[in-house]
Amino acid sequence: MSRRTRGIRRTVLWLLAILVVVAYAFPFVYLLLTSFKPASDAIAVPPTVLPQRFTLDNYITALNREGVRASFVNSVTTATLATVISLVLAIPAAWGITRYRTRAGRLMLAGSLLVRMTPAVAIGVPLVGIFSAVHLTDTPTGLALAQTTVALPLSIWLLASFFESVPREIEEAALVDGCSRPRALVSVILPVVGGGTAVTAIFAFLASWNEFLFALLLTSVKAQTTPLAIANLQSQFGLDWGPMTALAALYSLPAVVLTLLLQRRIVAGLSLGAVKG
Amino acid sequence: MTRTPLATARRPALRGAAASTHRRRRRSLSDNSYALLLIAPAALVLLALVAWPLVKLVVDSLYSGSTFDIGGRRFAGLANYREMFSDPAVRAAAWRTLVYTVVVVSAELVLGLAMALLFYALGPRSQILRTVFLYPLMIAPLVAGLLWRFMLIDNFGIVNELLAQIGVIDSSGDIAWLSDPDLVLFSVAIPDVWLTTSFMTLMLFAGLQSIPPELLESARIDGARGLRLLGSILLPLLRPVIAVALIIRGVDAARAFDVILIQTGGGPQSASETLSLHIYKTMVTYSDPGSAAAISTVFMTVMMVVALIAVMTIWRPGRGS
Repeated sequence: MSRRTRGIRRTVLWLLAILVVVAYAFPFVYLLLTSFKPASDAIAVPPTVLPQRFTLDNYITALNREGVRASFVNSVTTATLATVISLVLAIPAAWGITRYRTRAGRLMLAGSLLVRMTPAVAIGVPLVGIFSAVHLTDTPTGLALAQTTVALPLSIWLLASFFESVPREIEEAALVDGCSRPRALVSVILPVVGGGTAVTAIFAFLASWNEFLFALLLTSVKAQTTPLAIANLQSQFGLDWGPMTALAALYSLPAVVLTLLLQRRIVAGLSLGAVKG
Repeated sequence: MTRTPLATARRPALRGAAASTHRRRRRSLSDNSYALLLIAPAALVLLALVAWPLVKLVVDSLYSGSTFDIGGRRFAGLANYREMFSDPAVRAAAWRTLVYTVVVVSAELVLGLAMALLFYALGPRSQILRTVFLYPLMIAPLVAGLLWRFMLIDNFGIVNELLAQIGVIDSSGDIAWLSDPDLVLFSVAIPDVWLTTSFMTLMLFAGLQSIPPELLESARIDGARGLRLLGSILLPLLRPVIAVALIIRGVDAARAFDVILIQTGGGPQSASETLSLHIYKTMVTYSDPGSAAAISTVFMTVMMVVALIAVMTIWRPGRGS
């Protein structure tokens, strides 16, 4: 192959890659653009990509719908609770699994994997009855507990992979210096994997933030989260696409921005959690 | 593993030290019990939030009627299971779940592999493109479903409009993506594919990067190029990564719920109603918790068995290290 044909081939590959990535990015850009159109333009025939004029009307309409602002408060509360519960439980568990390599640890790791594979509907359906018996239905706490079944196994797997990279000498040095084992975990080992813990927290938070089925089954009015508010915009007012795209954009923006900003760390987390196994 | 004897050897030495009474008391807990103590809280919470509901699920599946009925529910033995296995709606939903899973996973694998190879061929300078390509990773399935539903609407959807403009179809109403019963199961899969091809690409790209360059170099010197290089060197080396990705994505696709519910609600005429949706409807729309529990129990059991077999045969965790 001459240098020239190789150069042409490279250019073609670059163009192809750029084309695919632009096409791939298009749906979300289109969502954003639509959310700034006047509500009637959102459903114009034929559709246009660019807004004729920019307006925030859809955002104002969406945020003024009943329950929408409360749903954001609920989403943040629920996701924060789920993240805290998951991390508080997963940090010691993952350390116990990676540091001591006991049979119980292996069982726990396999159990987490099994839970990860259980269809959510099989857990959600019986939880409806259990939660109404203990008065947790339609509360952020109840929903956060239900979502812990997703976030906790995920956190255990991710943290276990991050803890793998901690040299045992670090803990030994801390113990020789007179630290107790729990103390060594919290103030010596955890800071070493601070980045990994942060990534795990983000994953746990987003697992809850994006979760829909449990929210649908276990909340009705008071604890309704944003995905439900979005879905409800649909049934209550016909197909109200303008405000719907605005709300969907508001709701997804934190996740997209987080993914792009922390891309490298998140990639590390995903590759660790998935590839290493 | 080589460190374990060292650590145990160190402890008696510490115990023998003069001022070690304090330390001995503090470390009296054996490693095994301490590890158990660390793991127990998470294990208990998972037992309470997962095992208990699953036991209740199996128990519920043996009853008919709901607790809200007058006279409450009645023990029905295996009636729900008998009913379920003879119900054509359940069988159809199971079939759709299988088709949906195969469609989603194979589309993702092909697209994901193509993109991973493309980025790999372009080298480190493709970083920006890779970053952009990753963004759908964290978007909620619900939003993805909603967004594609908006883009696939027959009369004012942008997809048909673009297809009409480039001349693939005659008028923008030609493809009824979400209302044609023969097509809908494939259409509802599009957002799922869009959402998770990034994940597939990410994993395969990581796998490609871990291949030693010398290996590729020597294959090239031997004259392997293009498809031969892919088929005889890259794919066999990527096999473990592909296996893990297929298991993870297969399980997720089989239990997909949000994406389909928001697009079609299972319609038209149940043509996109997979098992998760069917269970949800049996529970909520038809208020038949017994049947819903029976279908869930079987669905879950099948998923577990398939996943376990897959994990045992192609992945084998803990092998080697």
